[in-house]
Amino acid sequence: MKEPSPKAHFVRLAGVLGVAFVVFLTLKAILVPSSWDYDNWYRGDALELNASYELAYGGNDSCVACHQDTMDEFSQAKHQQLSCESCHGALADHVKDGVKIADAHMDDESRWQCLNCHEARVNKPKDFPQFDKITINEHKELDDEMLCIACHSPHDPTP
Amino acid sequence: MPEIETHDTKNLIIKERSTEPDSRREFLQHLLAGTATATVLMVFGPGVNARSKYTNPADGPEHQYAYVIDINKCIGCGNCVRACKRENSVPEDYFRTWVERYVVNADGVYVDSPKGALEGFEKLNKRFRENIKISRTVPKMCNHCHNPPCIQVCPVGATFKAPEGFVLVDEDYCMGCGYCVQACPYAARFINPVEHKSDKCTWCYHRVQKGLLPACVTVCPQKARLFGDLNDAESEVSKIFEADQWMVLKPEMHTDPTCFYIGMPREVV
Repeated sequence: MKEPSPKAHFVRLAGVLGVAFVVFLTLKAILVPSSWDYDNWYRGDALELNASYELAYGGNDSCVACHQDTMDEFSQAKHQQLSCESCHGALADHVKDGVKIADAHMDDESRWQCLNCHEARVNKPKDFPQFDKITINEHKELDDEMLCIACHSPHDPTP
Repeated sequence: MPEIETHDTKNLIIKERSTEPDSRREFLQHLLAGTATATVLMVFGPGVNARSKYTNPADGPEHQYAYVIDINKCIGCGNCVRACKRENSVPEDYFRTWVERYVVNADGVYVDSPKGALEGFEKLNKRFRENIKISRTVPKMCNHCHNPPCIQVCPVGATFKAPEGFVLVDEDYCMGCGYCVQACPYAARFINPVEHKSDKCTWCYHRVQKGLLPACVTVCPQKARLFGDLNDAESEVSKIFEADQWMVLKPEMHTDPTCFYIGMPREVV
């Protein structure tokens, strides 16, 4: 039987390391996405993924497409700086693919939407119109269940 | 001997110095000229503000976005919280943005945020309503830091600083380990209970890329939330740097947030 070389274990070790290195390079080539940004350390395709989510709110410009008349009126009103969707809900719940799927009415059976902004609170800015039943004479006699919109127009709620 | 050597070196230096002509007169002239130039620049110069720290070089990204929250205008209605929930399908009891109510009276500081202000705020308990020094509602969200600690701790490169200033999460890479949730000093992150991935405010990246404003900015009735481009000197967010009254949350963390606050009481953390 031939005597094994005294350096055989080095050769074997080098062989194993060489194979491991080739496996590492192969895996790296397969697993690291081509869009990987080595400077900032992220997957470039993640930007597309983050940008791909669907819109729910369209902004006032999207309302004008159908409701130009209301908008002309509203742009002169006291609530003109408000977004329609603040009270009427998101565009995506009202229109899908250009077709109306549900009404976009506000909650007209409770005072919640009005009082949510206008009920008096100590934390609100002093110049913000705040409703405090005790200090407004005309409201002292009113029933607690009475709706604000029975007297005030929600678009132009001048007192 | 050592003493003689020291003596020689001293002489050499004195000799070198004395070869400069009129050094004292020249020094005084330069000092005067420098003072005059600095004074003229300070009074009539272009003015330097903190915005220049964030603007991009000409070959960088076109926009560099920033967010401004004016606490003096916020009424705590919670429209932003509801819009964020709807726009980003945020699961119940979790929030990408929320509003905190701070009440400072003689006894101390009281903070609450019932359901993240999803339904606004109830009337303050009578116990806290007396002798109030300061009471404000403070919207909170991801600060999109310039130097974000959440990115440093992510072991898989799933959260990153995108061009134009967004801090985003790569949902395909995130494995939900939660290191970033712990690293965020603003508690802006959570593990989404449905997806089991890290979740946070993206400044509505999907909206901004389509030319729209973030949902919370769109619906804010008081315009207390502003979003805009710092590269554009005329934008609303650039203007706040001229007034130089802005603040950031936890500046001592050196996270360098790009979410700026106006009128923030000292008690807010």
